[in-house]
Amino acid sequence: MVPESCAVAWNELHEGATASVDFVISEEELRQFAVLSGDFNPLHVDSDFARSKGFDGAVVHGALLVAKVSQLIGMRLPGRDSVWTGLSLQFRQPLYVGRAARVDAVIDRLSAATGMVVLKLKVRTGDILLAKGEAEVLLVQP
Amino acid sequence: MESGKNMATIYTKLTEIFRDIFDDDNLLVTPELTAADVDEWDSLNHIRLVLSVERAFSLTFSAAQVDRLKNVGEFAELIGSKL
Repeated sequence: MVPESCAVAWNELHEGATASVDFVISEEELRQFAVLSGDFNPLHVDSDFARSKGFDGAVVHGALLVAKVSQLIGMRLPGRDSVWTGLSLQFRQPLYVGRAARVDAVIDRLSAATGMVVLKLKVRTGDILLAKGEAEVLLVQP
Repeated sequence: MESGKNMATIYTKLTEIFRDIFDDDNLLVTPELTAADVDEWDSLNHIRLVLSVERAFSLTFSAAQVDRLKNVGEFAELIGSKL
């Protein structure tokens, strides 16, 4: 069964509105993402190699954090009627397998002239900031 | 004179925005320029353009204000009227 995405209308949105997605990446999901992306960099799939480079273990692909941003935009804010048109994201700290993390979005700007929603994004594990950035999303209005 | 200076500043910023969005470092942004003159000026890039201008000048437009624009000159005048 396919999860159903929220359908948020333009007039229901307001600057400052927030949404979040909590997630934990398992070893199996990391492996599946390596297959999907073709990125088998040992930093992501070999814990010993990652430790030899100074990390605490295999590092979750940054693109997997982006996938969680995609989930948030497509399923929550603004949800079903949105088309993602732009993203900038800085990665600050690594995320490790099995660690609870959260992506938070807040509406920074609504452009009534264009139907564009600008979201400020932060990905955290506990109090640690993993990534921050911004997404531009077009709300396709009926 | 002040108005002319403001308009020059507007065109300087617009040129930077247009060249970034249409990925053309040689694009000349003149008052007569229209979407028909720029190959990459499609509906999505038009939305990017308006949003970038709103953010660069810290202002907002209504859909009606944007819809009635015929060329860059009118866009620059609209921007100037809101500064």
